[in-house]
Amino acid sequence: MNESFVSAVDIDDFALWDKIRDKRFPASFDIEITARCNNACGHCYINLPADDPDARAKELTVAEISRIADKAVSMGTIWCLITGGEPLLRPDFADIYLSLKRKGLLVSVFTNAACIKPEHISLFKKYPPRDIEVTVYGVTKETYEVVTRIPGSFSAFMKGLTALTDNGIRVRLKAMAIRSNVHELPQISDFCRERTKDYFRFDPMLHLRFDRDEKRNEMIRAERLAPEEITAIEKADPKRFHALMDNCDKYIFRNIPARGSDRIFNCGIGQWSFTVGYNGFLRICPALWHPDCMYDLRKGPLEEAWEDFIPQVLGKKTQRREYIETCGRCPIINLCLWCPAHAYLETGKLDLPVESFCKVAHARAAALKENIPDRP
Amino acid sequence: METEIRLESRYRPTEDVVAREVMGKILIVPLTSGIGDMEDEIYTLNESGRRIWDRLAKGHSVRTLIESLSSDFEAEAGEIERDVTGLMKELIKRRMIEEAPDA
Repeated sequence: MNESFVSAVDIDDFALWDKIRDKRFPASFDIEITARCNNACGHCYINLPADDPDARAKELTVAEISRIADKAVSMGTIWCLITGGEPLLRPDFADIYLSLKRKGLLVSVFTNAACIKPEHISLFKKYPPRDIEVTVYGVTKETYEVVTRIPGSFSAFMKGLTALTDNGIRVRLKAMAIRSNVHELPQISDFCRERTKDYFRFDPMLHLRFDRDEKRNEMIRAERLAPEEITAIEKADPKRFHALMDNCDKYIFRNIPARGSDRIFNCGIGQWSFTVGYNGFLRICPALWHPDCMYDLRKGPLEEAWEDFIPQVLGKKTQRREYIETCGRCPIINLCLWCPAHAYLETGKLDLPVESFCKVAHARAAALKENIPDRP
Repeated sequence: METEIRLESRYRPTEDVVAREVMGKILIVPLTSGIGDMEDEIYTLNESGRRIWDRLAKGHSVRTLIESLSSDFEAEAGEIERDVTGLMKELIKRRMIEEAPDA
């Protein structure tokens, strides 16, 4: 017999990945346990009011979440991300969290930290999450509350974040780079890096509302930065910009295909993960809200969604020349926010190019090429 | 102090971990704090460890477990006992198994 029976492995080094590299496998799922939020950020795509009765009525129950997670675990899922809306708004958050943990899932939580209560701290101390990701909207009361549009939200956020970090709970910080806080981005970045040394990211790409609410979409468009502002902040972050340059061949293809692809879904969605919406609809990626691309898990089983429904959606093709001749053969598509999900949110169609995305992608490509002169 | 393994006793997984099988591998996932050093840390068992774990989880006593493994591996019971108790001590130290109360 072998003398070493048990070994600790970091999940990233788990030998399983070699086995699943070339096949579809539901390694993880996100679950949005609510679409409601205590904040009212203008840039957010999913933040219905905290007291919205319709949104609350549609939310999956603990038993429904548990049933879906049981199926996922039986299919081999390892990770689960609890997100929202603001997940801590749910009074049964602890039941949901523990139910997922007790199935042997590695559970992460996205929160704005403002709803953290002592009982959450006790829960996370006893049953640690894989990590908690908190978005930092600003590091001054003025900026933070311009973004969240809720008076008092900055002090609630600071109190919650301090409680998490003071109690040794693993927190990762991130930011959105938007019109309302871009002037404070260097300070936000310093604030985050001081607290989470191994990890910080910011996202300057805003996609539109899940419910296609035009009034709210106007607010999101108003928060978007101009292409040159996006490239400027990316260049100002050496770590991020070097990562872009190091992976340049992934972002700018050397060869442009003579003929465009008629396949709409060319990204990696549906291969290793899925999203469960607050209303019980499975989505193939968090942003894909097209009604033909969602599967009601209240009516059918997860296995059917994973095995039959998702491959069927991913096989969708288009005859639309505007797509085939542009996005379908674009060498910088990986620098672009364009994907069928975002195209649908912008245009109502899965296969229409989006001009504003093109402009950002070309600006990013130009910034990269400036720094890598040998690139065509 | 060295943990004593009682051969007539049954041991079971604690409530501090969750054991699951993924693609033929047994994963032991910490549920409560202080099991691993990192929140990302999980544990796997090799084939021999897995046989021991499976039988413990089924409620075999240590002695029954040793006898059945001796038969499986055609090895001396003394050698098997050393390996089994070695693993069990490691699992107890890591809070992954505990002695079950008498039925």
